[in-house]
Amino acid sequence: MRRKKDLTSKVLGGLSFFIYFFLWAPVIVIIVFSFSSNKYGVQWDGFTLKWYAALLANEAVKDALMRSLIVAGVTVIVSTIIGTMTGYGLYKLHFKGKQFLRTSIVLPIVFPSVVTGAALLVFFTRFIQIPLGYPSIIIAHIVFSTPLAVFVILGRMQRFDWSWEEAAMDLGATRIRTFMRVTGPTLFPAIAASALLIFPWSFDDFVITYFVAGIGSTTLPIYVFSQLRFGATPVLNTIGTLFVALTMAALVIMHFLQKKSESISA
Amino acid sequence: MTESSHRRKEDHSSVCLDIKDVVKRFPGLTAVDQVSVQIKEGEIFSLLGPSGCGKSTLLRLIAGLENQDSGDIRIGGELVNDLPPYKRDCSTVFQNHALFPLMTVTGNIGFGLVERRLSKSEIKKKVSEKVDLVDLGGMEDRRPDQLSGGQKQRVALARSLVLEPKILLLDEPLAALDRKLRKEMQVELKRIQREVGTTFLNVTHDQKEALSLSDRIAVMNEGKFLQIGTPDEIYETPRTVFVASFMGASNIFSGKVTSKRDGKIELETKQGSRIFAPAPEDVEDDEIAGVSVHPEMIRIEPLEENPQQFDAEKHTAFRGVIKEVFYQGNFSEITVLIKESDLPLAVFLTRGTGPEVQFSEGQDVIVSWESRRNNVLRK
Repeated sequence: MRRKKDLTSKVLGGLSFFIYFFLWAPVIVIIVFSFSSNKYGVQWDGFTLKWYAALLANEAVKDALMRSLIVAGVTVIVSTIIGTMTGYGLYKLHFKGKQFLRTSIVLPIVFPSVVTGAALLVFFTRFIQIPLGYPSIIIAHIVFSTPLAVFVILGRMQRFDWSWEEAAMDLGATRIRTFMRVTGPTLFPAIAASALLIFPWSFDDFVITYFVAGIGSTTLPIYVFSQLRFGATPVLNTIGTLFVALTMAALVIMHFLQKKSESISA
Repeated sequence: MTESSHRRKEDHSSVCLDIKDVVKRFPGLTAVDQVSVQIKEGEIFSLLGPSGCGKSTLLRLIAGLENQDSGDIRIGGELVNDLPPYKRDCSTVFQNHALFPLMTVTGNIGFGLVERRLSKSEIKKKVSEKVDLVDLGGMEDRRPDQLSGGQKQRVALARSLVLEPKILLLDEPLAALDRKLRKEMQVELKRIQREVGTTFLNVTHDQKEALSLSDRIAVMNEGKFLQIGTPDEIYETPRTVFVASFMGASNIFSGKVTSKRDGKIELETKQGSRIFAPAPEDVEDDEIAGVSVHPEMIRIEPLEENPQQFDAEKHTAFRGVIKEVFYQGNFSEITVLIKESDLPLAVFLTRGTGPEVQFSEGQDVIVSWESRRNNVLRK
């Protein structure tokens, strides 16, 4: 029996290793080759940082990066605020149509992004006159990011002990003071976690952004796509590495905040 | 004892909490059904009842965490119906203590004082007084997750008491503690209450806790008060069948009154037995549902060749067969089957003061008690 168990765990271990390797190999290759001096970025010719230097000098890339960061930043702030309020309302209030609202909030992320993108484009150009560019991109990003915030915060609220709020009010704190002193700080890790989840979600988005960006407004993913016609260049590797680094940083911070929030719910 | 608490203890005539005709309904359920009571300043008053009887709902109505559908609540003479919880002069100790997880013991205790905008030094002084009162010296900088259950409950108590409320509401505060700790905390609670003199309104489902802790008790079921009185009144003379069985007077004989004379009523049970009991003053004959008698009042003797005859007016007696003997060490609980009742009779036999006889299952016995111990029950 023991030997069989050993064999099973060995096979499982091997399988896991293979799967992770399969998932990570392309990413690792990109990161490695971003430091290679090969002109096309497809093999190792020697260590260099010149592609990163080129990136810093590339105006188009810097423009696109800036746009992506601004969009993601605004999206994170607005989505988190709306998401927190929505989560709070859905959890604590009782009103007609609440069940409908709660289930329909998931629609923006469930729809195929091509459908959402196309629909938003028609909406911005035909129904309301929203200029294509920052306004349309940011609104679109808020649309598909807010549900994410709602879920994370709602999930945290399920484990929240509401008698804390009752105790605070019982001891003399008004509703606002209760939120400032008790609910807010306790929910903060969840709010931060949702913010850090939304950041890569918005930063990495391609399809919907491509539909609603219009002419001249390029985000970083759109820039990368537009470079495809020129074939592989090392700059793509560097941008790819940049994406990975930023996303990893966000996820690592979120991980630590989750751990902290878990120790609070005891 | 400080001067004010000494004064408060003697000032029993002044009403601290006045509840009048309060009703609270939820969809499909009337949780609190026309409830009225006046709680005196300085007393420990318990709301006693089984789960779901409405006692916690009533507490929440007083605290302001829920609003009643009708009726008035006055705290210290002030009508609080429309006041939010943070404006009412009462404080609640929750069953799960609800300590703020991100704050230390001092932070928790001082929470309400910060809301009152007291100066830092004043807060520090008041908090340390209360830390000493509840015996938590040395724990001031701990977080709730570093405290034991009993310690957490003490912090919750201090947190509410430091605000010197007119009345302290306790929602089954000891229910989550183990038995030994619960007994210790009961003693602590009583000591603290006597020291500060604040009125305590304690909600519990534990009869023993209510009996040992309270100055007065209200027994509650299905949203209504069934009986309000001192612990000895509630235990020794329960008014209804529910109160009697809830308080452990487990021997109940149902029946109808057939005659009444000389301050005694005669009850006829379903099986045709006649039981005499002292006639209560304020009850109509047709309101009476039966009588109860406490197990510790019953005398049990082996059936002899020429058994003693009893005068039913002075002694209620039956022949029976022992069903089971439960040995508890310092006393034994004996259940006896008698044909005059559907349910077995419970008898407590105390070691030491009882007779030195061994009882065993299947033994024929005579059970008897003074008829004046029969307590009349209303429907």
